Amino acid sequence: MSDQLDSFLDDYFAEAEEHLAVIRRALLILEQSIGRPRPDAANLEELFRSFHSLKGIAGMVDHRETETLAHELESYLRAIREGDTAINTAGMDALIKGAGTLEASIAARRANAPAVDTAAIAAELRGFAAATPSDARADAPVAIAANCSCIFTPSPALIARGINVDVVRARLREIGEIISAAPMITSQGAVAFQFAVRGTLTDEQAAAWRNDGMAFSAIAPGSAIGPTASEDSGAAAGAILSSGHYVRVDLARLDELMRMIGNLVILRSRLNDTVERSERHLPAAHYRAMQDDAEAIERELRELREGVMRVRLVPVGEIFRRMPFMVRDLARETGRSVNVVMSGHDTKIDKFLVERMMDPVLHIVRNAVSHGVESPEERQASGKPLAATLRLGASASGETVVIEIADDGRGIDAERVAARARLVGLPVPSGPLDNATLLELISAPGFSTRDKSDRVSGRGFGMNVVRETLQELGGRMQLETERGHGTRFIIELPLTLAITAAMLARVGDQVFAIPQASVREVAEIEAASIRALQGSEIVEFRGAPLPVVRLSSALGCRETPLDRFHAFVVGSGAAAVGILVDRIVGHREIVVRATSDPLIRVDAVTGATDLGDGRAVLILDVAAIARQARDRGARRGLAVVKDIA
Amino acid sequence: MSAENYILFTIAGTSYALPSQDVAHVEMVEQITRVPNAPAFVDGVVFSRGQVVPAINMRARFGFERAPLDVSSRLLVVQSRGRSVGLLVDACREFMTVPESAVHPPGEALSGLSAQYVEGVASVGDRLIVLLGLERLLGSTEHAVAAGA
Repeated sequence: MSDQLDSFLDDYFAEAEEHLAVIRRALLILEQSIGRPRPDAANLEELFRSFHSLKGIAGMVDHRETETLAHELESYLRAIREGDTAINTAGMDALIKGAGTLEASIAARRANAPAVDTAAIAAELRGFAAATPSDARADAPVAIAANCSCIFTPSPALIARGINVDVVRARLREIGEIISAAPMITSQGAVAFQFAVRGTLTDEQAAAWRNDGMAFSAIAPGSAIGPTASEDSGAAAGAILSSGHYVRVDLARLDELMRMIGNLVILRSRLNDTVERSERHLPAAHYRAMQDDAEAIERELRELREGVMRVRLVPVGEIFRRMPFMVRDLARETGRSVNVVMSGHDTKIDKFLVERMMDPVLHIVRNAVSHGVESPEERQASGKPLAATLRLGASASGETVVIEIADDGRGIDAERVAARARLVGLPVPSGPLDNATLLELISAPGFSTRDKSDRVSGRGFGMNVVRETLQELGGRMQLETERGHGTRFIIELPLTLAITAAMLARVGDQVFAIPQASVREVAEIEAASIRALQGSEIVEFRGAPLPVVRLSSALGCRETPLDRFHAFVVGSGAAAVGILVDRIVGHREIVVRATSDPLIRVDAVTGATDLGDGRAVLILDVAAIARQARDRGARRGLAVVKDIA
Repeated sequence: MSAENYILFTIAGTSYALPSQDVAHVEMVEQITRVPNAPAFVDGVVFSRGQVVPAINMRARFGFERAPLDVSSRLLVVQSRGRSVGLLVDACREFMTVPESAVHPPGEALSGLSAQYVEGVASVGDRLIVLLGLERLLGSTEHAVAAGA
């Protein structure tokens, strides 16, 4: 029972998120109509519809504070719409504040936090609605929708109560005319019927019938039945067609599919081993045939895997869509003028990456507006357009997705960066700083006044956390900046995550997996060439000193006396660290399984994988291990290393 | 009269029980992979039905000496608030319905370490069984992690 409720709530939150996305976008468009005689009708209608739907679904899950606020937002929009009036800045701010609170109230429910108090903003909106010259009677029991859609989902319980499709049809005829009816499959896989109705539905009817499996939503709310009605019904039929072509899939179910494919990948590699071992026991023709089949299975599996991964992909635009909001607020606060230009937001990327990249992109965009963009006066003085342009772009190339964040502001001041770096004790090379070094410095731990601790308080964080997140995700970042012309961050991310190529390395009696994406280079190190230096160890590698860390001591494994080690070189430039293992024993694709329980959430371990024998092999975050070693080294005197360099 | 079903297991000679609804399944213990820097009472991780599950050594957790794994060692995979955790116990081979009337509050005798996660003591026939509360057990386990145990 509670499982059903949970999945129902999950559906609610997923749907609410979709409406919020539409609302954010539509509000931005609406804002541009300030000062014009009348707002764009289609956009207004879309906004209205989203608030209305949100109100309906919030009511179904009994989240009263969300429902009430959505109702007031809807009422105010109706007043604007029916009053055919322009919208002013104060009204726009109230709408944006209302939408923000709406989002917060849904987020609070999702996090099982105490309900957000929406009463104050709801009252404020009611005031605005009342003050809008309008012939709308917002509090009168008028129809909540003139043209609406009704989805009826039959169930054994409803049928037992005598409520079937015919009864539903009869009821809909009571309120008006049924324009179209079509069967559809719900996201739970149940059969449902979707009706488009032209008629008048009261709140009471909607509420009473909702208990009978009838869910209503507006198609063209508030529009009078008249010459435009036939167009509306056409639009409704289109909506039905398109809704039937999509199903909403729970990410957890996709993960489950991915896990099953993972099991197949493991079985396949076991089969391959068996085939190889059978070679000398089999007639050559049989062996060859088995080998061919094993290869065919491998090909099919790869395609199956890619197919499921494609389902997990969502548009990068999901990362971008919050940005214009944030830029707008920040620009207003700081007296800047910024246009946001987005491109390639249809580029697809793994859902998980979208979630993890939200904060880093937000951080870079925030930095661009508050530090990169000049004041309008300053821009005028240097002959630039008064409004700055912030470009958010995404593009796909093969297995990577590139995200670019570019501003046309003042660029990064290398001298100030160098001064700040020296102040906090970071090694700064002499001479002019190139872009790579600049990025290195601004991403160094301790450079930003905002550090890791801020991530917990949710107030944004420094560039070092951006870099750490990217390393964790197997991504990379580049910086291009030019004084007076602007700054561009280029982020490269892998398309998907669940299966990854990894190196297998032995340390003592344990085997570990190291994702290839986090390794820059593999080297062989003579034990004799390792020199001790103030408690750290370094070797000479490609003519430069390379700090090394023995995985055995970082992980507390048994140490084996060896003449030579294999090393994974992680990070580049001054941040490079060599991680020593006993031997690299293999290289293969592994299925990543998260280790999320707090008991085993340790810095160096990101997950575990099964190599086919049922035993868990830990997947190491070598970037984190390198970082820890660097931090220790920094405390003990990186300066010494620098002197030798 | 109401009664609840329990899974019984032994740790260092004492009988304990968890409500059977909290126990997803019981497994033979094969390979446990050590996790560096994990709390001292966590022996490592195992794969259980495709999931990575931490294995808590209950002897270590309750302050007894570790014992080598043998044929009777079992891993109880329990579920609480979306987490799956394995409890490594000496043996587990009984299922029992305990009437509510047989359950007594922990009482003075069980003060101290284990009192935090004991829900009660059941006397069934001539046996005493310590009833554990999973939420409390895992909750105090997290406190132990925070305290650096």
